[in-house]
Amino acid sequence: MAFPTIAGSSSESGSGVFPTLVFVQGNEQRTINLDHSPFTVGRKVDKDLVIADPRVSRDHAVIVTENGRFHVVDQGSKHGTFVNGERVQRQSLEKNDRLEFGVRDIAYVIFNPQHATSNTAREFLSQISGMHISTETTDLEKLTLFLEAARKLNTTGVLDEILVTLLDATLKLTRAERGFVFLKTDNGDLRLAAGRSSRGEPMLDDKTISHSILEDALKSNSEFVITDTSQSLDLAGRQSIVAYDLRTVICIPLRKPQVQATREPGTEGTGETPAEVMGALYVDSRFASRDISSVSNDILRAIAHEAASLIENARLVQAEEAARRYQQELAIAASIQHGLMAVTIPEVPFARLCGRNLSCKEIGGDFFDAVNTEDGLAVVLADVSGKGVSAALLASTLQGMIYSQLTARMPLPEIVAAVNRFFTQKHIGEKYATVIIARIRPNGELEYVNCGHVPPLLVSGDQVTRPAHGNLPVGLLKDATYEGDHCILKPGDKLVMVTDGVTEAENANGDFFEDFRLEAVAGKGSLDEIFGAISNFCAGNPLSDDCTVVELRYTG
Amino acid sequence: MTLKMESHTTEGVTVVNCQGRIVFGEEATELRDTLKKLLASTRKLVLNLSGVTYIDSGGLGMLVGVYSSARSSGADIKLTGLGQKLRDVLQITKLVTVFEVYDTEQQAIAAFKKA
Repeated sequence: MAFPTIAGSSSESGSGVFPTLVFVQGNEQRTINLDHSPFTVGRKVDKDLVIADPRVSRDHAVIVTENGRFHVVDQGSKHGTFVNGERVQRQSLEKNDRLEFGVRDIAYVIFNPQHATSNTAREFLSQISGMHISTETTDLEKLTLFLEAARKLNTTGVLDEILVTLLDATLKLTRAERGFVFLKTDNGDLRLAAGRSSRGEPMLDDKTISHSILEDALKSNSEFVITDTSQSLDLAGRQSIVAYDLRTVICIPLRKPQVQATREPGTEGTGETPAEVMGALYVDSRFASRDISSVSNDILRAIAHEAASLIENARLVQAEEAARRYQQELAIAASIQHGLMAVTIPEVPFARLCGRNLSCKEIGGDFFDAVNTEDGLAVVLADVSGKGVSAALLASTLQGMIYSQLTARMPLPEIVAAVNRFFTQKHIGEKYATVIIARIRPNGELEYVNCGHVPPLLVSGDQVTRPAHGNLPVGLLKDATYEGDHCILKPGDKLVMVTDGVTEAENANGDFFEDFRLEAVAGKGSLDEIFGAISNFCAGNPLSDDCTVVELRYTG
Repeated sequence: MTLKMESHTTEGVTVVNCQGRIVFGEEATELRDTLKKLLASTRKLVLNLSGVTYIDSGGLGMLVGVYSSARSSGADIKLTGLGQKLRDVLQITKLVTVFEVYDTEQQAIAAFKKA
């Protein structure tokens, strides 16, 4: 069966071919050309778009074209077809409409998303150049229109494409032979950002332009400068000026768009600070080929004003892109950290271990870990100072160091001393960690070393004591020394370790959870009950720090 | 910025009074800068924390950092005005063995004279 093909109208998509559907499901994203009608959607494998979900009907919907427009038609599906969140039977489709078939949010289709590339801007430009440029007013209107459109379209545009399009427009309107855009870098130098000839060829080097004219134009307060290279200092010496090489130059400084400050009385006449220059447009033309010196000043002024806004806008968009990508990187880092932090609790016959962490941020500095060795079952609980990425980075390093040394059966005080040496030597600023490592043997002997951490709770029957031996945190002072302590656990005894996020959990009145509440609930309660008590106490007040509770019960 | 700092010199000792919260971020940074600036011209500094409602781990790390670098260049920082909470923290972290803590500003200043 042959389906009629459709030629998409060229005003809908810049390339003049078919409209597209972008299908998104979870992490998967696919672009499909709507190149025939009817376009079928459903669960059956012979559909044009197969969505494998039980809520999607086998023959769910079709997309058809009629008189150049597209419509989605529900085929009597069980769970409905939705356009932009509203259930429809038959709906004509507009660009960027969001279609859902039976399932919401998990899988959806965007109809003909508009990618604002310079393609569309170029089309507009080609429309302009096709028109006869006659009066100045028409030129100005067209330029303003064009730049307005380009600016609006520029919501996802790339700076370089915008620059090239800007140059093309400037060249068309000034009728110059070639044009360049220079932009200031962070350290104040001008770099060549784009170059074009009036024939549309890229110009990649700026050796034949007059940098002295460029610099003078930038220093001046003028909106634009029209001059010629016979005035230029730098070119005159370098090449013999023959009439053939003489060029008219128009240089338009691009000044950062600023909010107009109200002028204070008495400051008139005193030099205002010029708006910050961010670059320049430089177009020139040989005398012999074209005279551009009589180009309309209004046009040049309009270019000066609008171009700067355009570039600034594009730069902001680039910065947003960079920020978005950075956020993505952070999200990846968070998931890696999550993986590292996942604790496999070793099973031993003489003890039971459980632990839980409640993060107040996606990425944090608390962690706990457990290692079983011939020396017994070891548990580590640590809290790195500060929050966020830097704390997490240190936490991961700390975890690795301690884990490997425990497996190597180093004595506990030596482990923390080694960590302290590592961190104090490495000049990582004022980052440190409080750590507690406890190791229990099958016979109930408990060895622990506490480095600046909240004292653990030893629960034996009804009694709750706080083994008080302690040391400095790790990473704080270079010459710190560390010692451990011992005690004996009876079967049924348990050691509860927490981070200070627990004792410092705050409620809306500014009260802290504190030791006495912790001791009250830890004595009898399980991990769930401890976290429940914290949550009840805070009563909705958000946590300001990560909370971790680890319970080591000696069964004997 | 929830931290206010004020400093004055008495009997050859610079006293810095802090009010507010000393936390990781702007507050810790400002206090560190202030202390470092003062330590450029004095070797005797008393830090009065009676107006401080809260110090977090970052703030504590900063204090220890400033203290260490002060000591290594021959200066000294003595603490006074510690509330119960801060005393507890210094106890748990064993920083009581590192810092010299005095009950009153006068005692801290006097301790410099004895040295």
